[in-house]
Amino acid sequence: MVDALLLGAIGAGLAVGLAGLGSGIGAGITGASGAGVVAEDPNKFGTAIVFQALPQTQGLYGFLVAILILFVFKTASPWAMFAAGLATGLAGLSAIGQGIASAAGLGAVAEDNSIFGKAMVFSVLPETQAIYGLLIAILLLVGVFKGAGAVSVAALGAGFAVGFAGLSGIGQGITAAGAIGATARDPDAMGKGLVLAVMPETFAIFGLLIAILIMLMV
Amino acid sequence: MKKLKAVILDEKVDNVVRQLHEYGIVELCDLSEKLEDVEWKSLLSPSSHADYVRNVTTLMIKAGKILDLFSNVNPKEVSIKDILNPKPIEKKKVQFNTHEEVIEYCEKVLNEISKEVDEPSEKLNELENRKSRLLQLKDQISYLKGLEFDLKDLGPGVYIYIGCGSVPKEKVNELKSELDKVTEEYIEVFTGEEFEKDNKIRVPIVFVTLKEKLESVLSTLRKFEFERYDISDIEGTPKEALQKIESELKNIESKIKSLIEKLKSLSKKWENKLLVVYELLSIEKERGDAYSQFGKTNRTYYIEAWVPAKDAEKAKKIIEESSEGYAFVEISEPDEPEEKIPVLLDNPKPIKPFEMLTEMYALPKYNEVDPTLLIVPGFLLFYGIMLTDAAYGLFLTIVGLWTWKKIGKVSEGAKKLGYILTLAGISTIIMGIITGGYLGDFMYEFLNIDIYKMGLALVNPLGASTFIKNGPIAILEFSIAVGLLHLLIGLIVGFKENIKKGNTGDAIINQGIWILLILAIILGVIIYLVTSNMIVTIGIIGVAALIAIIVCAIKGFQENGIMGALLGAMDITGFLGNVLSYARLLALCLATGGLAMAVNIMAKIVGGSIPIIGIIIAIIILIGGHAFNFVMNGLGAFIHSLRLHYVEFFSQFYEGGGKKFSPFKANREYTTT
Repeated sequence: MVDALLLGAIGAGLAVGLAGLGSGIGAGITGASGAGVVAEDPNKFGTAIVFQALPQTQGLYGFLVAILILFVFKTASPWAMFAAGLATGLAGLSAIGQGIASAAGLGAVAEDNSIFGKAMVFSVLPETQAIYGLLIAILLLVGVFKGAGAVSVAALGAGFAVGFAGLSGIGQGITAAGAIGATARDPDAMGKGLVLAVMPETFAIFGLLIAILIMLMV
Repeated sequence: MKKLKAVILDEKVDNVVRQLHEYGIVELCDLSEKLEDVEWKSLLSPSSHADYVRNVTTLMIKAGKILDLFSNVNPKEVSIKDILNPKPIEKKKVQFNTHEEVIEYCEKVLNEISKEVDEPSEKLNELENRKSRLLQLKDQISYLKGLEFDLKDLGPGVYIYIGCGSVPKEKVNELKSELDKVTEEYIEVFTGEEFEKDNKIRVPIVFVTLKEKLESVLSTLRKFEFERYDISDIEGTPKEALQKIESELKNIESKIKSLIEKLKSLSKKWENKLLVVYELLSIEKERGDAYSQFGKTNRTYYIEAWVPAKDAEKAKKIIEESSEGYAFVEISEPDEPEEKIPVLLDNPKPIKPFEMLTEMYALPKYNEVDPTLLIVPGFLLFYGIMLTDAAYGLFLTIVGLWTWKKIGKVSEGAKKLGYILTLAGISTIIMGIITGGYLGDFMYEFLNIDIYKMGLALVNPLGASTFIKNGPIAILEFSIAVGLLHLLIGLIVGFKENIKKGNTGDAIINQGIWILLILAIILGVIIYLVTSNMIVTIGIIGVAALIAIIVCAIKGFQENGIMGALLGAMDITGFLGNVLSYARLLALCLATGGLAMAVNIMAKIVGGSIPIIGIIIAIIILIGGHAFNFVMNGLGAFIHSLRLHYVEFFSQFYEGGGKKFSPFKANREYTTT
């Protein structure tokens, strides 16, 4: 048996580090677009801040899981802690995609204010992956599942599944960015755009499913 | 929607247009396209704008100019207080029966205003022109350092011409020799002290030449990047001239100031009246422009309009009364393809503001179901679950009420949003009490009250409570169950819609099989809960899932062969994805509570480890952290609730894409009738 907090600390580090990496890049992409928009119209500063906040949530989830590992669920299995950090961290890289989508959303809103709500909905799509990562992390930490898949080294498999599948958020962000452009041109394209933009999420769902199966069955 | 068609005697049509515009219950149809048709052409000729529009436009331009002037001298300062608590505009009561009366009134007021405003405004203009000329002179003369001569000598004399300007320093010598060459030395060039402009060293020059050589001198100068100074109407050496200009500028400055003061007081006196005039004129213009959508014969006008079914009789009555009976009105069912018929959402008052959320996606098509009523309960429930904190909820309710009651007085959008936020806030309070969230675990960290052990909350999202042992799993199960129910509602609505349209096959393939699957899952779970028999449950759900997979595969096979069948069989993952997507309810619920807890823990550590200052820092962390968490998750909850509706819920039954009903209505901000 390894010291619980040893693996837990690695997990906490991964959670904050990887998710922070994703959020940093994502917020950077949106920020670049925001700087351009604000240069054109200083009144759009508030809008830019709102859109830039979206890809930052992944970093917050990473921070949250790190706090949970270090302070709250200290009694959870060490491998579960490690896997929880891994899941949140990797899935947090979806922030890169969200940054791309938010940048497009911000650009569209700068042209036409009335599209704000729609752009927001599209920009928030690639967050699903991060939420799935957070979900698996919580499930691991609270110790619902007692099988080897949730408490032994096998838990890492669950973390990998939902974490890497969470990278589909990058693809989803690119699709969402395109769909925002289409919706800006033709507001009626929203429904079809959503269908296309939700496609890449299928793989995140596969990841989530396999992660749950690992925790449940192994 | 009904189609309203009316033939009106030309004498009466003005009054009819006025009344329809005031009531604002019909949308006029533009007939110009229809009148291209040969058969229509033989009956009707297209009508153009009413004649008085030209007068109205002229007056509008005049009023607009004065309004611009007013806003220039008296810029509106919008303070935060005004944004948060705007005063509603005082509306002026007006009573006009014809466009002549309006034009007469507006002309009178505008003349009155002109009388007082024109003179100072013209003077201001003059002074400002003079000021910019003086500034230019000052700029140019200041470069002429080192050249002592009387500026009044500049320009043409009887035989000679004296000019001045500047050239780049490095070109001076070359220039001099070149000038000597072209003028056969009938030129004298004087240079002054060099200066720097736009990162280049330049030298001021004055040249004296014969009048007949001027052309060739100027063309030579142009080759050497010569910048000509246009100095006139001034006497004395450059130094004296600069002093004169300074004193004149000071004089003008004070005159401008007093003029602006005067105009400011005039703007205070007249601005409201002018805004009323401008609005009256815009309304008249809209009415006059409406004529271009009509058709006409010798003595009558023919109009077509959309009118909501419930207002049809009223519209008919308005036309008949306002034309004193000289009109024939017919109301019929829509005679155009469905996509051309405008859509008006008609919901009872309590859920009317939520139409905003439907419109954000897309208005329903004509004859499609209006999803607004279906959004309301789900949206509020999801919002509450995702934010889950009684304190945040209370704050959101206050913010919502303020937006609704205060800002909503002047903005329709703010009123709707405020209403939605208020209800969402109340929902959050309820959910917060159920899950025991009061600024996260503030009570436990700082007041040492364990809500969950005392049985004050039903469920603990991060652990056990007296009632439910495993909080996160309970919420997860609840989320999935809510998701299944939500999808079931969407599917049933879609099923009914398809049956109504007569597409029984679509109804079964697109909705029926999933309804069957959800019902099988519900049945299976009930059996498991009652008998604890896992095998029967798996059997029931498995059979339903198998049916769904097979039906989808067959559908895919018919469309795209073997590949289609394989892809179709994967449709079940889409369904699974929709259901699992509702797990975000748990994740966001935890995110709010968890981040609030993280803020509390940080504040506690800081407050406990550093004496005295620590407490202050702890309070700052608490306020800043919770404010941040509130905004982030408040926004997140709003968008994720919307997403669950737009992506998961609407895909079961809703398409949208209708055209919005935009009534022919007088937009009155400053006036009322």
